[in-house]
Amino acid sequence: MSTTELASRSPGRLAWMRLRRNRVAMISAYTLIVFGMLAVGAPLIEMLYGIGPQQQFQHKLNSFGMPLGYAGGISGEHWFGLEPGLGRDIFIRMIYGMRTSLFIALAAAIVTTVIGVVLGIVAGYLGGKIDAVISWIIDLALAMPFLIFALAVVPTIALRFYGPREEVPTSFRVAVLILVFAVFGWTGTARLVRGQVISLREREFIEAARACGAGLGHILFRELLPNLWAPILVTFSLAVPSYVTGEAALSFLGIGITEPTPDFGAMIFRSLSYLQTDPAYVFFPGVTICALVLAFNLFGDGLRDALDPKSGA
Amino acid sequence: MYARIAGVVMLLAAVTACTKTTNEGNNVDTNRVTTGVIAMDPKDSRGPAPEVPGATKGGTLTILRLTKISHMDPQRVYSFAGLMNASLYARYLTTWKDDGKGNLTLVGDLAETPGKNVNGDCKVWEFKLKSGLKFEDGRPITSKEVAYGIARSFDPDLTGGPTYVQEWLADDPQYDTKWDFKANKNSLPPGLSTPDASTVRFEFKKARCDLPFAVSLPASAPLPPDKDTGVNLDNMPFSSGPYKIAKHTVGVELVFERNPHWDPATDPVRHAYPDKFVWSFGADAEAGANRVIADSGPDASALAWNGVPASLVSKVAGNADYWPRTLISPTPSANRLTINTQRVKDLAVRQALNYAIDRDGLIKTLGGATVAAPMTTLMPPSTLGFQSYDAYPAGKNGNIEEAKKLLAGKTPELVLAHGDSKTSTEIATQLKSNFEKAGFKITTKAVPQDSTLDETKKKDNPWDLYMDSWAADWPSGASILPVLFDGRTIRAEGNTNSSYFNDDALNKEFDRILQLDPVAQAPEWAKLDQRIMKEHAPAVPLYADVAYFLHGSKAGGLYVSSVFGYPAFTNAYVKS
Amino acid sequence: MLRFIVKRLLSAVLTLVAVSIVSFLMFFALPRDPVSGMCPKNCNPERLERVRQELGLRDPKHEQYLAYMKGIFTGRDLGSSQGGRCDAPCLGYSYVNSEAVTDTFSRVLPVTLSIVIPAAIIWLVLGVGLGMISALRKGTVLDRAAIGFALTGASMQLYFVGAVLQLVFIYTLKILPVPHYTPLLQNPLDWAGGLVLAWFALAFLFSAIYARLSRAQMLETLSEDFIRTARAKGLSKGRVYGRHALRAAITPIVTIAGLDVGGALGGTVITETTFGLQGLGRTAVDAVRSGDLPTIMATVLVSAAFIVVANIIVDLLYALIDPRVRLR
Repeated sequence: MSTTELASRSPGRLAWMRLRRNRVAMISAYTLIVFGMLAVGAPLIEMLYGIGPQQQFQHKLNSFGMPLGYAGGISGEHWFGLEPGLGRDIFIRMIYGMRTSLFIALAAAIVTTVIGVVLGIVAGYLGGKIDAVISWIIDLALAMPFLIFALAVVPTIALRFYGPREEVPTSFRVAVLILVFAVFGWTGTARLVRGQVISLREREFIEAARACGAGLGHILFRELLPNLWAPILVTFSLAVPSYVTGEAALSFLGIGITEPTPDFGAMIFRSLSYLQTDPAYVFFPGVTICALVLAFNLFGDGLRDALDPKSGA
Repeated sequence: MYARIAGVVMLLAAVTACTKTTNEGNNVDTNRVTTGVIAMDPKDSRGPAPEVPGATKGGTLTILRLTKISHMDPQRVYSFAGLMNASLYARYLTTWKDDGKGNLTLVGDLAETPGKNVNGDCKVWEFKLKSGLKFEDGRPITSKEVAYGIARSFDPDLTGGPTYVQEWLADDPQYDTKWDFKANKNSLPPGLSTPDASTVRFEFKKARCDLPFAVSLPASAPLPPDKDTGVNLDNMPFSSGPYKIAKHTVGVELVFERNPHWDPATDPVRHAYPDKFVWSFGADAEAGANRVIADSGPDASALAWNGVPASLVSKVAGNADYWPRTLISPTPSANRLTINTQRVKDLAVRQALNYAIDRDGLIKTLGGATVAAPMTTLMPPSTLGFQSYDAYPAGKNGNIEEAKKLLAGKTPELVLAHGDSKTSTEIATQLKSNFEKAGFKITTKAVPQDSTLDETKKKDNPWDLYMDSWAADWPSGASILPVLFDGRTIRAEGNTNSSYFNDDALNKEFDRILQLDPVAQAPEWAKLDQRIMKEHAPAVPLYADVAYFLHGSKAGGLYVSSVFGYPAFTNAYVKS
Repeated sequence: MLRFIVKRLLSAVLTLVAVSIVSFLMFFALPRDPVSGMCPKNCNPERLERVRQELGLRDPKHEQYLAYMKGIFTGRDLGSSQGGRCDAPCLGYSYVNSEAVTDTFSRVLPVTLSIVIPAAIIWLVLGVGLGMISALRKGTVLDRAAIGFALTGASMQLYFVGAVLQLVFIYTLKILPVPHYTPLLQNPLDWAGGLVLAWFALAFLFSAIYARLSRAQMLETLSEDFIRTARAKGLSKGRVYGRHALRAAITPIVTIAGLDVGGALGGTVITETTFGLQGLGRTAVDAVRSGDLPTIMATVLVSAAFIVVANIIVDLLYALIDPRVRLR
C-alpha cells in the first residue's frame, strides 16, 4: 500500500470502510433493507399471498372469537394465523403495518432532524438573546408531558379539519402524528447541535470566514454544517427506531393510527391482552418490532463507531 | 443478546403449541324470560329472608374493581356498581326479590307493601313503613327521614341520581326550579307528605303507575337531616342497611362492617352473611380476573367486578375447573344500531339494514358468546312479559339476498358514527364490511369516545347510524319503549329517542298503555315492541350484554341481578 | 453563584407559567365536556347548562385561568357543589372524581414515586456498572455482551417486556403476586413484591442508555491528559478510575438521569397501564379522556415542575461534581 493511496482517503471514505468491516452493523443493514423491501413491496406481496389486509375469516373462529386450530390459527393459508375477533390475516396485516410504521418513523425523523439542526446551529452560533429564547423553548418543550399533550391534541385536530360526515383519511392521521413528533422531537437534536456549534464557532476556520466577510448563511450552512454531519447522521439513525416505538406507544393509548388501517403499534397493543389465550398473536408482531428496532439501534451504534473512532471499540 | 430473544421465542412457542383451539366451552342460557309480579300481600315483604342453602356466617368478601364507585350518596347513586353496592348500606321503599334466574317479585323494603294505589288511578300512593327499622346509630327510621331523603334529591348540588320521583312530584323536568331544597330544608316538596310517623304519601298531577318500581332505586333511602353532610355524604353515607362504612380511602379501599342495629326480621332480601365486605380499587379487568383465577389468599373469597375480559374468556370458558366459580347470565343492557329516521326516511333501507346484519360476526368481534347474546327485539328478554320474535329473519350471518332485494339496485350511502375506543372502532369496522356486502356504502366516522353519546343525542346530529344501548331502571316496557321512541320527547339535545322517531299513532298507544296497572302493561309492551319493528324499523336490534364474572373458590351465594345484570350481594357468603 | 440560581429559578417559573397556559388552552380545545359525562340517562339540557355555569365553565377563559392559579397560592372558595372552601395549595375540585385534586394527588403520587425511585436506582447501578465494565474491558467478550444486553434493552418496548414478564413470573411460574400497590410503611415486603416487576421492566429499558453513555464517557475520559498524568504520577489504577475518571465521566450521566427521573416522575403512563397501577400518569390520561380540567391542569403542572426542578438540580450538581464547570 503506497502512501499516496492512504493520503487520498477522505474522512467519509475512512468511515465507510470502518462500517463495512463491522459485521454486526452490516447484518443490521441487510436486515433493514429486507424490512424496507417488504414494506415497499406490500401490494405485490398481497398479490402473491392472495389475501388482503381487510379480508375477514370469521368462520375460522370459534364462538368466543378465537381462531380455530393450533397456535392462533396458523396454517398453510394463514402463515401467522388470524386475529381473534375480526378474524383478519396477521401476516398480511403485519406487512402493511410495517409500511405505515416505517413511513411515519422516517418522516418524523427527517422533519425533527431538520428543525433541530437549523435551530441548533442558529442558537449556537448567534448566542445572546436568540440563544436564550431558543434554549428556553427547548426547556419548555422538555417540560411538557408529551403523551398527555398528544392524547389531548391528536383526536382534536381531525375534528377541526374534516366535516362531521367526512371520513378522515389515513394520510391525514399520519400527517398529524408526524406533526406531533416534530413539535416535541426536535429538542434533542437542537441541544446536541447547539453544543457542537458553540465549541466550533471560536475555531480558526470560522474566524477566517468571518474575517473574509462571509455572510451569515454561508457561515452557518457552508462552514459549520459540514463539520456536523457525523453527529447528525448518528442522531438521525437512532431517531428512526425511537419513533417506531413512539408511534407504538401512542397506539397503546389509542391515539395512533386507527382501525381499519394496518399498523404495527395498534397491532401490538391489541394483541397484548391475548398474551395468555393466544400467545402466537402477541409473538409475531412483538418479536418483529423488536427485531426492527434492534437492527436500527445496532446499525446506528455501528455508524457512530465508524464516524467517531475515538468512542468506538 | 440473541440468546435472550431466542429464550423468549421458545417460551412463547412452548405456551402456544400444545393447545388446540376448538369450539367447546360453557354456554349462556340466553333464552330465559323474566317473570315478575308485584307482591301485594304484606307477608311477602316480611323478613327474614329464607336461608341460602350451605351459607355460613363470617369471613370477608372482597370485590376487585378498577375505578372507585362514582357515587355512594344514595340520592346520587345510579351506576351499576353503585346500585349493587347501595344494598349493603341503604334500604329503599321497595325492592326486588330476585332468584338470579329471572324470577322477580317486587316487595316492600322499608314499606310493608310495594305501595298502595289509594284511588286506583295511580295519582295518589301511600307507603306504610315497617316497625323495628333503625339507622346505624340505633335511632328509628320514620317517614320523616324517608321524606327528607326524597326532598334532598331536589338539591341541584347532588347531581348524578335518577330524577323520576322529583320530576313527577314537580310535574316538570326542571324540578329544582319548582321547589328550592336549600331554602326549604324544613318543609317537603309539593305532593310529598308524611300523614303520620309511619306513612309516606305521594300525590301526583298525572297518573304515575310506575312509582312502586321507581322507589326501588336507592334514591328512596332515608336520611336524618342532622346527618346530611351535602356533597361530602358521597364518601361517607349514613347507613340504614345491614352494613356500615368502617373505613374509606377514596379510590383505594372501601371497608364495610356489620351494622348491629339492622334487624334481619324487617328485611325480606338481605342476608349479611360475611362479617365484612371490602371493595379494593385499582386492578383493571385483566388483573382482577387473573387474581381471582390464581385464587390465593384473600383473592379466594374475591369477586372480579370488571368481569372476564374477552381476551381471557377462552382460558376461563375452556377450563371446566373454573365453571363452578363463574357467573354467567344475559343482562337487561340492550344494544341496538340506531337508525336516524330524520335522515334515513326510506323504510326499505331501514329494513334492508335489518336483513343484512351479521349478528354472529359482530358477536365474535366483541369476544363471543360470553360477551354478547344476539337479540332481534327492541326490549331485552329480561323485560316483564317479553315475547320473542324476529321481524326480519337474518339468520346467523345476515340475509344478504333479502337486503339486496329491498334495496333494488340502489346504493344507499350512510355515515356510521362510532366512539374512538378500541372496541367501538372494531365494531364499526365489522359493521362497515358487513353492510357493504349487501350493497350499502358505509363511511365510518370516529367521534371522541366520551362525547359520542352526547353528540348522537343532539337532534341535528349529522349521522345516519350509531350504536346505542339502553338499560332500563326497572324491567318494564314502560321504562324502555316510550323512553326510546316517544316522538314528543324530542328536544335539541340530550335525547333518549336517538332514532328521532315520531309517529302519532304510536304516541297515542304509549299513553294508553301507561295508564294501565303495571301488571296489565307487560303483555301490551311486548305487542307494541313487535309493531314498532314491523311497521317502522327505527333501529337494528343487535345484542344484549352478557354478564360474565369469576369469583374465588371460597365465595358463595353470588348471583347476577335480574334487574341490573351485575353481581348482587344479598345472598353472598364466604365458605369457611 | 447566587445570581445563577436566581436566574435559573426565574426561567423555571416562566416555564411553568407557560406550561400552565398551554395546558389550559389545550383543555378548551378538547371536544369533551365534564358535565354531560355525569348523566348517561335522562339528561336535561337546561339543568346541565346551569351546572356548567355554577362550575364556572361559562366564565371568560382568562378569568377561569386566573382563578385557578390564584387558588394554588391563596386557596379559593369553590361553592357548595364542589366541596366548599379549598385551602392553598388548592389544585381545584374534580367534578368527575368528586374529590379535591389535592386528595387525588396524595393518593396517586406515592404510587408513581414508589415505581420510579427504586427503578431509577436499579437502572443507574445496572447501566453505569455495565458501561464501566465494558469500558475497562474494551474489546473483550464481556464488553460485547454488556453492550449487546444494553442495546437489546433499548430495543424492547415496555408494554411488551412488561406483558412477557407478567406471563412468566406471575401466571406461569406463579412466584410473584399480580402487580399492585401497598404503601411502603404498611407492609414493605408487599410493597416491593407488588412493584418489583415494574422496577425491572423500567430499569431494563433505561439502563441501556446509561450503559452506552457511561462506556463512551469513560473511554473518552480515560484517554484524556489528566488521567494519563495521574497514572504517570504513580497513582493506583483503582484510585484513578474510581476518583478521577468516574467523576469526570459521571457529569453527562447526571444530566440525563436528572431529566429521565424528572420525566418519569411526571407520569409513567405506559408502565402504569402495563402493570395496572393507578399513578400520576394514568390519572392524567383518565383526566384528559373525561375532560376533567382541574386534574389535567394539576397533573401537567406537577409533572412539568418535576422536570424543571430536576433540571435545576442537575445544573447545581454539575458544578459540585465537575470542577471544570463554573457557574456564571
